[in-house]
Amino acid sequence: MVFLQQVINGLAQGGIYALIAIGWTTVFGIVGVMNWTHGEIYMLGAYAGYFLTTMGLPMVPALLLSMAVGSLIAMAVDHFGYRPLRKAGTLATSGFITALGLSTFLRYTANAVFTVNPRAYPELVEYRLITLFTFKGQAITISSMHLMILIGTVIIMIILELFIRKTLVGKAMLAASQDMQTLGLMGADSEKLIKITFAISGALGAAAGFFIGTIYSINPMMGALAGLKGWSCAILGGIGSITGSLVGGILLGIAENLTAGFISTGYKDAIGFVIMILVLIIRPTGFMGYKFEEKV
Amino acid sequence: MNTRTLKAKLSRSSEGRQSEWLFGMSGKATFLTALILVLLFCFIDTAVPGGKLIPTYAKHIVVTCLIYAILSLGLDFVAGYIGQVSLGHAAFFGLGAYVTGSLSVFYGVNFWITIPIGMIISGILSVPLAFASQKVKGPFLVVITYGFCEILRYVAINTSAWGGTSGLPGIKTPTLFGIKLTKLGPTNKDGYILILFAIVAFLAFFTWRVVKSRIGYAFAAIREDEIAAVAMGINTKYYKLLAIVISACICSIAGSFQAVFASFISPELFASTQSISMFTMVVVGGRRSIIGMILGAGLMTILPELFRMVQELFSLPFDPWMILYGLILIVMMRFRPQGIWGREEKKK
Repeated sequence: MVFLQQVINGLAQGGIYALIAIGWTTVFGIVGVMNWTHGEIYMLGAYAGYFLTTMGLPMVPALLLSMAVGSLIAMAVDHFGYRPLRKAGTLATSGFITALGLSTFLRYTANAVFTVNPRAYPELVEYRLITLFTFKGQAITISSMHLMILIGTVIIMIILELFIRKTLVGKAMLAASQDMQTLGLMGADSEKLIKITFAISGALGAAAGFFIGTIYSINPMMGALAGLKGWSCAILGGIGSITGSLVGGILLGIAENLTAGFISTGYKDAIGFVIMILVLIIRPTGFMGYKFEEKV
Repeated sequence: MNTRTLKAKLSRSSEGRQSEWLFGMSGKATFLTALILVLLFCFIDTAVPGGKLIPTYAKHIVVTCLIYAILSLGLDFVAGYIGQVSLGHAAFFGLGAYVTGSLSVFYGVNFWITIPIGMIISGILSVPLAFASQKVKGPFLVVITYGFCEILRYVAINTSAWGGTSGLPGIKTPTLFGIKLTKLGPTNKDGYILILFAIVAFLAFFTWRVVKSRIGYAFAAIREDEIAAVAMGINTKYYKLLAIVISACICSIAGSFQAVFASFISPELFASTQSISMFTMVVVGGRRSIIGMILGAGLMTILPELFRMVQELFSLPFDPWMILYGLILIVMMRFRPQGIWGREEKKK
C-alpha cells in the first residue's frame, strides 16, 4: 500500500525536523530570540560530521563529536552575537536582525571555505530494505538508514526529556521558559542557563545535520530551508513544547512525503509553509502549546 | 477625538527636531536638488561634446537603485510605521512583475494599465497577511510572510505557462507618448531613470503626507503600544490592514518596472534573499526615515556591485559581499540600531 509506505518514509525525515524544531523552541522559549542561525548550525554540524566520518571515525563517536561542535558554535553565536545586545537591553528590538546577519555571515563564510559543491558522507550503515510487516500481501519496508535515524532521534529525545525532567539544570530551564526574571531573583545564574540552552540547541541542530548527511548530500546553502522548516514544526507543535515539536516534525515529514507521492513533487517544500500558516491563523498556540495571553 | 490628543502629544515631541529631508533642507529644496542631479546624470554626456563620463553600467545600477528605493519605501509601511518584521515582501514585488509580464506577453496589454492591475492583485493577496498580522506578530509573523512568499515562488516554479524556473522572457518595452522608454535619453536607461525618479519622489511625498496625517499617528500608536492604542479607541485592525495593503501596492509598482526593465520574469523575483535584502535596506537606511529608505536602497545596491568587481578582480571563487553583508548587519545592530538616517529611539 503506497499510502502506508509514504508515511513510513516520512517518519525519518520528520524525526530530523523534530530535532531542528526542538533546538529552535528551547532558545526561543528561554532567551526569547528567534535564533535564525539555527539552520546554519545544522549545516555546520553536517559538515563537521562529514569531515569526521571521512577521516574514518565510526558513526556514534562522529555523531557525538559533531554535536559537540554544534554546541560550541551555538555558544559562540550567543557570546558574540546576542550577549552584547542582552547587556545593552536591546535584544528584543535588534535580536532578530542580528540573527539574520549572523546567519548570512556563517552561511557565506561556509560557502567560501567549503565551496558550493555538494558532498556526500561515506556509507556508514549498509543500505538494505528491512521489511517491517506485510499489509494485504504487500511488504512495507524501511531502509536501514532511515531506521537508524529514527532510532537515533528517539534516543536523543529520551535523553533530553530525562535531562529536563530529572536534573536541576533541566528544571531551571523549564522555569526559565516561564519567567526568566523571577528565576534570576531566585538566585539562578541566568547567563549560565542561557549558555546551556544554546549548547543543547546547537547539539540538537548538529545531530539533525549529521543525520541528514547520512541520507542526502550536503552543501553550505542547506541550512536556509531546513531551518525554516524546523521553525514551522516548532510552531505546528506549539512553541515551548518538546513533545509538540516531535509531533509537529513527524507530521510535517509525513505531510511532505504524502504531497510528493500524491500531489506533486514540486509542491513538496511548499506544503510545510501552507500547514504552518493555517495553524498560525487558526490556532496560534499550535497543537500542544499553552496560551500566553497579553493582558492590559 | 482620542487621536487628536495623541496627535498633539506626538507633534509636540517632534518639535525642534531637525528636518527629515537632506541636511536640513526643506522637502521642495531636496526634490529640486535631486532632480537637478538626476537630469545632470542622464544628460551630461549629450551636453559635453564627445563625452563618455558616465558608463551605461552605472546608469543600469541607478535604475536598480530606484526600483529598490520604491520597494523599501513600500516595505517601510510594515517594517517601519507599524513596526512588524516582514520577510515576504518579495511576494508583492514578484506579483507585480508576474502580472505585468504575463499580461503583456499573453494578452498584449499596455504596460501602464498593468501597473494598477498588479497593484490591485497585490493588494487583494496581501489581505490574508493582514489577517494573520492581527492574530500573531513578531517572530510568528516573520515566518508567515516568509512562507507566503515561498508558496508563491513554488507556484511560479510549478506553472509551466510561466516557464517554470527558467522564467518568461520577451516582455516589451513600454512607450510614453508614443516614444519607447529606452529611446528617451542618450542611452536606453535614461527613460527608466526619469520615470522611476518621478515615482520615487511622488512616493516620498505620499509617505510623508500619510505619516503626518491621522493615519500616520494611528500607525505610531500601534507601533509603540498596541494595547494602549486599542484602549484609546484606535481601530488597530483597520490600520494594520491599511499599512499592509499600501505596502503591498507600492512593492507591486516596483515589480512591474522590474519586469519591463529586465524584459524577463523568473521565480528568482520571489526568492527569500530578495525579501531579506529589502528588509536590510529598510534597517540599514533607518526605519521611518524617507531619505533613509532611498539611501539604504542605494547603498545596498551599489555595494554588492562594487564587491562583484572586487571578486572578479581577484577571481575569488565566492562572493565576498555576502560575508560582509552579514557583518554589517551585526555591527549595525550593536552600534547604530536605528540605521544610518534613523532617529534615535528614546528609552522608556
